[in-house]
Amino acid sequence: MNAPVTLAERIRGGDRRALARAITAVENETGEAASIRTALAAHLGRAQVAGITGPPGAGKSTLVNALVKVLVGYGRRVAVIAVDPSSPVSGGAVLGDRVRMGEMQGHDAVFIRSLAARGHLGGLSRTAAQVIDVLDAAGFDDVLVETVGAGQSEVEVAKVAAHRLVVCPPGLGDHVQAIKAGILEIADAFVVNKADLPDAARTERELRAMLALRTGVAPGAQPPVLKTVATTGEGVAALADWLIARGRQAPPRAARGSPPASDAAALLERLFARDAFARHLGLELLEAGEGRAAVRMRVGPEHVNFWGSCHGGAIFSLADTALGLACNSHGSIAALIDSHMTFSVAVQAGEWLTARAEEVSRTRKLGVYRMEVRREDGVLVASLTGTVYRTGKPLPGEA
Amino acid sequence: MTEQRPPKVIVTKIGFDGHDRGSRVVAAYLRDAGMEVVYTPPWQEIAVVVKLATEEDADVIGVSSLATDHRLVPKLMAALRAAGLEDVQVIVGGIVPPKDERELLEAGVAGVFHPGASLAAIADAVRALTRKRRAQLEGST
Amino acid sequence: MNKPINKPVAQTELEQAERRWRTAFDASPGAARRAANRSGIEVKPLYTPQDWSGERYLETLGYPGEFPHTRGIYPSMHRGRSWTQRQLIGLGVPEDYNARLKELLAHGASAVSLIPCNSVFRGYDADEVPEELLGTCGTVVNTVDDMTRALADIPIDRISCALNDPSPFTLLALVLAVAKRRGIAWTKITGTSNQSDCISHFVANHMFFRLALPGARRVLVDHIAFCNAQVPGWNPLSVVGQHMQQAGATPAEAMAFTLASAIQYAEDCQARGMDVDVFLPRFTFFFDISVSFFEEIAKFRAGRRIWAKIARERFGAKDPKAWRFKFHGQTSGVDLTRQQPLNNIARVAVQAMAGIFGGLQSLHTDSYDEVLSVPTAEAARIAVATQNVLREEAQLTDVIDPLGGSYYLEALTDQMQEKIESIVARIDAAGGMYRAVEQGLVQRMIGDSALAFQQRVERGEQTVVGVNAYQAEEDPDEYSVLEYPHRERIIAQIARLAEYKAQRANAAVARALDGLARAAQGSDNVMARVVEAAEAGATHGEICAVLRRELGFGQPLAVV
Repeated sequence: MNAPVTLAERIRGGDRRALARAITAVENETGEAASIRTALAAHLGRAQVAGITGPPGAGKSTLVNALVKVLVGYGRRVAVIAVDPSSPVSGGAVLGDRVRMGEMQGHDAVFIRSLAARGHLGGLSRTAAQVIDVLDAAGFDDVLVETVGAGQSEVEVAKVAAHRLVVCPPGLGDHVQAIKAGILEIADAFVVNKADLPDAARTERELRAMLALRTGVAPGAQPPVLKTVATTGEGVAALADWLIARGRQAPPRAARGSPPASDAAALLERLFARDAFARHLGLELLEAGEGRAAVRMRVGPEHVNFWGSCHGGAIFSLADTALGLACNSHGSIAALIDSHMTFSVAVQAGEWLTARAEEVSRTRKLGVYRMEVRREDGVLVASLTGTVYRTGKPLPGEA
Repeated sequence: MTEQRPPKVIVTKIGFDGHDRGSRVVAAYLRDAGMEVVYTPPWQEIAVVVKLATEEDADVIGVSSLATDHRLVPKLMAALRAAGLEDVQVIVGGIVPPKDERELLEAGVAGVFHPGASLAAIADAVRALTRKRRAQLEGST
Repeated sequence: MNKPINKPVAQTELEQAERRWRTAFDASPGAARRAANRSGIEVKPLYTPQDWSGERYLETLGYPGEFPHTRGIYPSMHRGRSWTQRQLIGLGVPEDYNARLKELLAHGASAVSLIPCNSVFRGYDADEVPEELLGTCGTVVNTVDDMTRALADIPIDRISCALNDPSPFTLLALVLAVAKRRGIAWTKITGTSNQSDCISHFVANHMFFRLALPGARRVLVDHIAFCNAQVPGWNPLSVVGQHMQQAGATPAEAMAFTLASAIQYAEDCQARGMDVDVFLPRFTFFFDISVSFFEEIAKFRAGRRIWAKIARERFGAKDPKAWRFKFHGQTSGVDLTRQQPLNNIARVAVQAMAGIFGGLQSLHTDSYDEVLSVPTAEAARIAVATQNVLREEAQLTDVIDPLGGSYYLEALTDQMQEKIESIVARIDAAGGMYRAVEQGLVQRMIGDSALAFQQRVERGEQTVVGVNAYQAEEDPDEYSVLEYPHRERIIAQIARLAEYKAQRANAAVARALDGLARAAQGSDNVMARVVEAAEAGATHGEICAVLRRELGFGQPLAVV
């Protein structure tokens, strides 16, 4: 079996076959997946990830092709992930998105991979985020994720992409009403494609009107409505420029520009990669070391409770994950035995929350940790204090 | 290690012919048989098919040929080898005269299916070739 | 269904007779078997006056040549003049084509057709493509010289010419250039642009979709306008149901999609300001004929009746010529098998009969070895002989619409009409054929039907002799297969092309191609410029390249 380190070098060196094989492992969570992810973890954070979603007939694939063409023209290397639905009956899938993309398929600076959703709801596949990581680590400047549909539940793209485009065909009409709240929340921009058609102007107006009805968003902060004609390229350069400019302002995917600072950091990266619940919630590890950790999440529609704000359990889980990493950073299993949480501020869908854990004290058997969960603007949302019992037993797989 | 993931199959046409009823029916059937099929329209360049097979980590490439486009298949086999994809299995379906069939098999094509071949037989062949390819890959790493 | 009947027989007596028969029938072996045709219409064991009584004859059937044309578009049909034997030919280099053409004409074929090489279909000259693909399934024709050699000694002012050439119709342009050189007026040229239906190419991918759909759409209308004015004997449009049916559409679906496409094209012409009474008479149709005998006959009769109504009522055409549903039929290659290929001769005879009884205007019969490779000379001869046997031994031309009045056939024609019209209504509801195709609606229907049919074959519900029943041990090498064109002839052809380009007046060619590009960018008639370019000496590939550049490359919309 290839030693993962060698694989990372090959992937970053442009070996497309090795890259594809690594994606296969990660997509299917084979035995090699964990070590591949660990080997690549140090190289994350460079790629701009953009999600492109929208109803059928919007011309997503043509738009992706046109956008890729512009980006490649700027000298960028672009990866595309095209997600297609799997048959609920047979489990099989026809992955036809990539071929609708046209001539950029054959370009050297472009890498395209199709993923079948395999019954996963939300618009992506279960391991799409991990596949994006591999492409990020491989050195692509942009990773475009083209997803199925734009129904209410297909908002998962928000978790994996910093830049979310919702593509609408003109003559959306009833569809504008059908673009449910979930999609409105996640969109960073709307793109009215096929803008040369007569209905396009009306669709643009209807979208702007619908966005203006949203409460709690300052007028200047509304997502832009862009117009493109993907078949001719009109408006696509402007879209690309908007994306690139946005990318420069956004926080990096995972704040690391260098390899793990210590053994503890490397250990925690490995542990975090194995945490199924954290993955399920869409959490992101920002940094970690001896006795400390920072974890981030974006509040999605699936984290929201019955009166529309972020579920306390989700906030707790975020803080608890940071806690778990911090207290296990010393190399043996530590488990939470008692905690106390206070909530200060209600949180809405669409917001980013970061939980930071700090070790307050530690003895042979016990440890105390304080976690603070803050919003992007720094406001304290919740705080958690926890006591852990240190078992002294070795972490599995780390002996 | 046994893998449960479905076969990844490319169904494509190279050359000039545009009749794609056969390839569409096969693609739909393989999907209904639980496989993941990357389906392309006709007139694909060989270099693009090789790139496709590389990026998608395909197990099997199914080439549909009705005119005389099968005469390009040896070029495809050579291109796959040059790209380091000799493990990828290639099958050809369509109108292939007996003499040409022999030549294709000698060039490394894993199977030729003629009009009237049963879809179930094609699906079985794809599954078997997938197992063969994955076993080969594991053995060599 | 009880309908009033003509004869003064008491209802109860008829009902009693029916009941007696029913009882006896139900007691017979095999009575429980259900049967349905490919369009999904259930077929009963017996049809009687209860199913179709013959009343309202004038309204529903009419006389041949009279609205609604159910029994035929001309008063005399095949009795007056036989259907045209139009065999498709295409292979190798122009000389090969010319030789085969002369052979077939000598054996009774009465019209010319030309299938160009796949490279030509894709819009390329012989020097732009892999050599091993040249001339294997069609003739390589790139220049006026090639066309001159292909049509050497053929009296094109007296023989009708079908050109299998999609947009931008360079082959017609080359024929017109040849005609001019021979001093033949274009008003004498007759024939059809057989592959002018760009929608069918987009959907069923059968032929080679050279230009992006919006551009192809505009060039088609230019082409119709040009031909109506300059080559009035030419049929610039052939709406091709064959592609849909070959791709897997049921016969009813194929007819419906064809009619919907014709409606779309007629609307485009009207939008251009053209006169329905001028362009509709030059609309023709091209259909597949499957081996489902009665279903095909009913399909054609229903199509004829529906189209007459559409032309007269939906489009308001006044000239009776505009109501005529002129069509060419081709026996379906999809029904032919590779196993026991000689059986295909029987299949083709049945398909041909269905087309003849269906009232077609011209017929191509497939050779039995169609599935093995390009047909041999002998197989092509048998295909033509089949038509001769049907005409002269079975004497199928003696009676017009001989099956008219059959209780079964008339009931089936009505049912097919209903099914066809409901599908046309669906396309209308989707906004017309172009919109339906952009949404993938048509492709999905075709794909579903194709898969369903294949599954019936796999399950044994649909028998295919020699494939899933009545199999036999065979030696695959037994049947002689046409060798590929001699490499030397292909090399020579490529060399001739180079010579041609070197010797012509290149400045004139460049000017003409410029004119073509400008027409494409503006609103001048593109077809007129294509013809000018061909006359100036431009090659097929050069003309296509200019238009691809201006109008975009055609990408099929594949939907699985």
